Amino acid sequence: MSKVSADIIDLTGVPCPQNTARAMFELELMDEGERLLLYIDDGEPRVNVPASLEIEGHRVIEAQRTPQGWSLLVERGEA
Amino acid sequence: MCPPPLTYLDHAATTPVAPEVLQAMADVYASPAANASSLHRAGVAASYFIVRARYQVATALGTDTDRLTFTSGGTEANNLAIQGVALAGNRRSGHLVCSAIEHPSVLEPMRWLAGRGFDLTVLPVDGQGRVCPDDLAHSLRPDTVLVSIIHGNNELGVIQDLQALGEVCRGAGVPFHSDACQSFTKVALEPDRLPVDLLSINAHKIHGPQGVGALWHRQGQPLEPTLHGGGQEHRLRSGTLNTAGITGFGAAATLSSDATRATLLSRHRQMVEGIQGRLPQARINSPIQGGLPHILNVTFTGADGKKLFHQLNRAGFMISLGSACHATAATPSHVLTAIGKNAEEALSTVRISHGQDTSPEQISTFLDMLGALLAT
Repeated sequence: MSKVSADIIDLTGVPCPQNTARAMFELELMDEGERLLLYIDDGEPRVNVPASLEIEGHRVIEAQRTPQGWSLLVERGEA
Repeated sequence: MCPPPLTYLDHAATTPVAPEVLQAMADVYASPAANASSLHRAGVAASYFIVRARYQVATALGTDTDRLTFTSGGTEANNLAIQGVALAGNRRSGHLVCSAIEHPSVLEPMRWLAGRGFDLTVLPVDGQGRVCPDDLAHSLRPDTVLVSIIHGNNELGVIQDLQALGEVCRGAGVPFHSDACQSFTKVALEPDRLPVDLLSINAHKIHGPQGVGALWHRQGQPLEPTLHGGGQEHRLRSGTLNTAGITGFGAAATLSSDATRATLLSRHRQMVEGIQGRLPQARINSPIQGGLPHILNVTFTGADGKKLFHQLNRAGFMISLGSACHATAATPSHVLTAIGKNAEEALSTVRISHGQDTSPEQISTFLDMLGALLAT
């Protein structure tokens, strides 16, 4: 996966639900309360990724429009 | 009468599934049923298993997860590489190169293409099974579209110099594929550091499940899919992902270490020393050093390989005649023929392949039995 830095991953071009699964994999390597910045595509990913991450106990802090799609700031939930 | 205890010395054909692998796969089967492409939470969970496995396999290869396409095994990975490169961009002709000791899953797709507008050059090997880089250089033509040379040979255990062979291909701008199904995790192998463009690996040679493999491909390498459908795996390999199998592959990829490689090498040394020291009629065809640490190909001059195979089998020792894929064929192995063995020698030859689960005592007992059978 395209990992820009320790806590930023670019999931543009990655279809659902792989984008969510990749985000979950990264979040599981983090401690509770740590934050991960995701870049995702517009459309289905904008709906599916935050909804699925919240079901898994993570918190979407912020969603912002980007030229390629959206950025999501996600806080790792309870381990 | 109690059956004899079984000693499995055919790890080059397939390996026993490791308990850790079995547990990882059981965890998948115990999870709610889901297609890894489904959007509901069970689908996300299945996709998570795939993501984790992809990371585990990529880590074992020292590469990026995006470079891997999961397949149904080494055969499909080889077919995807060969047909995928040859037929990319609607190409219908061109020149292909492979070695004379390729696995059938490379030779046959090459021959299939050769019957449909492509030319094929099959490179000879020396007496130890090595391809000479100069021979490769001389074989290349302006219309060469792909070279495929096996990394660790499944019958002999000889390892090709991917650096030297790949540099020849790189210098000519020709994509270079290698079948690394036997060598993956057995020897150091990091494709990103080598002049290779495509590399095939699979799970069941490394204590993973049968029916799972992967093709590593360099970024930007044009590839035509061989399976068309739902567009999984970056549209390169359609078909519902084998979640449990891929998870097992990932788990298996984490099991190898310097310690397991040292174990294989130690058993190899024990087997070589035992054969050389006790069986004067034995001619070892595998490299004594610098080859795959789990394969020993031996000609027992004057012996009937098939008879020896059956005697050992009855006594509980499982080895192979030639390679498992064509062990039932009466013709001598094409690999042994390529290294200069005549038919009589080839039919006196067996392949012994141990694993990290083989104990020194098992090897010792095997050598005792082999000596006793050859003395009769």
